[in-house]
Amino acid sequence: MTPEEQLEYDRSFEQEALPWLDDVYRFALSLTRNEADADDVVQETFLRAYRSWHTFERGSDARRWLFTICRNAFLRTRERARHQVELEDGDVEAVAHNVGQNDGAVTGDERILTRLDLAPALSNALDRLQEPFRSAVMLVDVEDQSYEAASTILGVPIGTVRSRLFRGRRLLQSMLANYARDAGFATAKTRPEDASPATHE
Amino acid sequence: MSEHNPSTHNHDCGPLDCRVVLEQLWEYLDGELSEETTLLIRQHLALCSSCYPQYDFEKAFLDALSDCRCTRCAPHELRGRVLDALRSAGFSATA
Repeated sequence: MTPEEQLEYDRSFEQEALPWLDDVYRFALSLTRNEADADDVVQETFLRAYRSWHTFERGSDARRWLFTICRNAFLRTRERARHQVELEDGDVEAVAHNVGQNDGAVTGDERILTRLDLAPALSNALDRLQEPFRSAVMLVDVEDQSYEAASTILGVPIGTVRSRLFRGRRLLQSMLANYARDAGFATAKTRPEDASPATHE
Repeated sequence: MSEHNPSTHNHDCGPLDCRVVLEQLWEYLDGELSEETTLLIRQHLALCSSCYPQYDFEKAFLDALSDCRCTRCAPHELRGRVLDALRSAGFSATA
């Protein structure tokens, strides 16, 4: 590579990849749940991305490309005996099937939630949401990725993304309903699955 | 408190019944449905006073989730650390 080509290589990386550092950090943090580990994963992500920048197809989605690298960097840092609780895809599908996406009724809990300032409670609930639901929610709901993009990033079928996403959303809503009750709002009718979400983990 | 029961709800809100609409509500909000289905659900929601509160709630919930993006940024020290690592790998474009 000539010096001019190297300069152009670096410039394009700076303009197209580096602006997504915040996004990659959020995703890394959602995977690691630990700021120090997230820092390591982000650094590794951008190093890998820089070294393979020549393989990036210009004009395609750099953020999606970086998320994929981030996910792979994270997986490589994990030890086999990790503590993270992960459900097998089949279990996730079964759980999602049992819970259902929308069972029809706007419950009292939901009416209460629309009156709350959701931001602090939601941020806390996101921190507590377990994998593999958390990654799906982070990618689609927070980082605005399509189901198809999340499928590529996570390396799972779109149906699995959908199941994890819907289950994750329901778990978040259940946590928010608990938050509403703890905050002193009147108790309200609760869905059967909301009563013990931990049993699904 | 009166609640919407999609299995018994029966009124003229277009060709889709309430249960079908509610089952696809998240995909509708995510923009993941076909143009035809999206249009049918939009028409149903415009006419159905029973399904609309559910739509309203789920939309508020997803909007709040999306807003979480604005609240978390990478620490300034991490930016410096990433740039230092890149420079060690030969990167030289940034000031």
